[in-house]
Amino acid sequence: MNLTLSHLIALLPLLIVCATVIIVMLGIAWRRHHVATASLTTIGLNAALVSLLAVLTVTPIRVTPVLLIDNYAVLYMALILIAGLASTTLAHAYLEGFDDQKEEFYMLLGCSVLGGLTMVASDHLLSLFFGLELLSVPLYGMAAYAYRTRLSLESGIKYMVLSAAASAFLLFGMALLYAESGSLAFADLGARLTEGGGHASWLLMGIGMMVIAMAFKLSLVPFHLWTADVYEGAPAPVTAFLATVSKIAVFALLMRLFLSAPVTDMASLHTIVAIIAFLSMLVGNLMALRQDNIKRLMGYSSIGHLGYLLTVVVASDDLALLTTGIYLITYVATTLATFGVIALVSSPWQGSDVSSLKFYRGLFWRRPYLAAVMTVMMLSLAGIPMTAGFIGKFYVLATGVEAGLWWLVAGVIIGSAISLYYYLRVMVMLYLHPIEEQQYDASSDWGQRAGGIMVILLALAVLILGVYPQPMIVLVSGATLG
Amino acid sequence: MEIAFYLAGLVAIVATFRVITHTNAVHALLYLIISLMAVAVVFYSLGAPFAAALEVIVYAGAIMVLFVFVVMMLNLGNQTAHQERSWLAPRIWVGPSIMAALLLGVLVFSFWHGGSIGTISGEELGAKEVGTRMFGPYILAVELAAMLLLAALITASHIGRNDEPQLERDMNEREQRVPAGNDEGGRA
Repeated sequence: MNLTLSHLIALLPLLIVCATVIIVMLGIAWRRHHVATASLTTIGLNAALVSLLAVLTVTPIRVTPVLLIDNYAVLYMALILIAGLASTTLAHAYLEGFDDQKEEFYMLLGCSVLGGLTMVASDHLLSLFFGLELLSVPLYGMAAYAYRTRLSLESGIKYMVLSAAASAFLLFGMALLYAESGSLAFADLGARLTEGGGHASWLLMGIGMMVIAMAFKLSLVPFHLWTADVYEGAPAPVTAFLATVSKIAVFALLMRLFLSAPVTDMASLHTIVAIIAFLSMLVGNLMALRQDNIKRLMGYSSIGHLGYLLTVVVASDDLALLTTGIYLITYVATTLATFGVIALVSSPWQGSDVSSLKFYRGLFWRRPYLAAVMTVMMLSLAGIPMTAGFIGKFYVLATGVEAGLWWLVAGVIIGSAISLYYYLRVMVMLYLHPIEEQQYDASSDWGQRAGGIMVILLALAVLILGVYPQPMIVLVSGATLG
Repeated sequence: MEIAFYLAGLVAIVATFRVITHTNAVHALLYLIISLMAVAVVFYSLGAPFAAALEVIVYAGAIMVLFVFVVMMLNLGNQTAHQERSWLAPRIWVGPSIMAALLLGVLVFSFWHGGSIGTISGEELGAKEVGTRMFGPYILAVELAAMLLLAALITASHIGRNDEPQLERDMNEREQRVPAGNDEGGRA
């Protein structure tokens, strides 16, 4: 196996992120400086983002048997890097007031981004497992970063234990698949099944266990119990990262697995995924109804959203790939901005996040632009026309209708109707008159800081994509597999 | 060789079961070591001597070291001598010993009879084969594993520091989470 120049170009984003982590580590060892560390990370992630342009000249290319870097991978790499950058800017403002060592956070973030990049490019079980672990292990540390607050520590430990259980499922599933097919590459997996012979039930068990592990990571019902607690306890920039990067990476991988591995062609598997999707839509939205804590509310709403998106896995047709891209882009932009507002209101760190809904009462009268951003995001999450969320939901419905998945289409509609109630409740809260002087608020110069600018840009993007989605659709339809 | 595989596999399952059912960490560790050694025998019987050796050196060896480390760091003094004696009561070590003896029996038996008890089917995977694959087609996995270890190390070093262990209160907490006796003044 020789690595040529084009292989190295294809690996550029991963190499740059790796180098960033190492440089940041050496920098910390030399001298601790928060702003310098954050800037270095930002520069590194931006360089990786720019290097994707160079990667596009050599795609599709297989780098060693484990990574396949195609246009599909490049699109999701870009999305992951952008989400990582957004979390970095949020973390910078947030960690200003953190009364402990701040710099390690950026190294963990870099490692986690690297794991995400590996996952979206993997079409081999080996890189799948390493990518997933590299994505998750730094996240334990990030979730428990403010480990002196009880909730943060609790969220880190909960995420670690359940993630480890999910990894055990994944490994067992992979072992069963390997025992039956003798290969770890997606394209070969279960090819023997189509030839006939072999034990189909073993293959089904293996792929079923892998789906369970991924459902854990995507927090789909009935593997969703950790979601609200982890979302609530993790510091706001970490929640933003967790809610975007880990979902993009795992979902992109799940799509690739379902579209390229022959073992996923079983009807019973599609039925199981359809049931998981339907339950996620209903349970996620119903649980969100009675939440008073905005981070918990977002956690439950993410269950519902991933349930909608799972419709495309059940369909697994040509439109599915396009829908995945569009839905993930809109969902990521919306989620990042929502948690961005939460992080800005909680910045700088004062012992815990401002996440109880009562603290957001009357935000409009104090920070009108921030409240406007939040309003747009809630409308987008609810899927109201003129926002990006509508385009995403429209494509999901189109995919469901085209594939004739009427139960799932009904689930999407019922779920959206339920979700309107709690999204609007948050919005109403923003515009009520404040009863008393609020002690927690975004700093008055939030608009001039990187995090604030990022949030406003995301809000504009959500609005523009909602009115004029054509560029996004062209971009995503260019991101083909293989 | 099949009997060795199944016997070692059985020992591994029973030992692992005892690991998770034991309430005492030290006793659970004893069973964990047995479980790892049983897995090593499984690897041997499958024709992967290198993996088996690594299992013994890295897992069983490292876990023993870790265990000693923890005992050292817990700063045990003279008063714990009695406790240590109670840890080593016969009914504690007799279970792991039987299992270890079973594994030893399997090894000795197969060495004694040489090739006459059956051969390993499939190809043998020695250190050379593992090495050429690891640093050939799967080189990226090695690099990713390095980053994974780095991330785990950063996490452990950040959370494991112990300068100021008190927990801070969360302002979003609901009232019912406060213990009953603490809110006497708040009601008035």
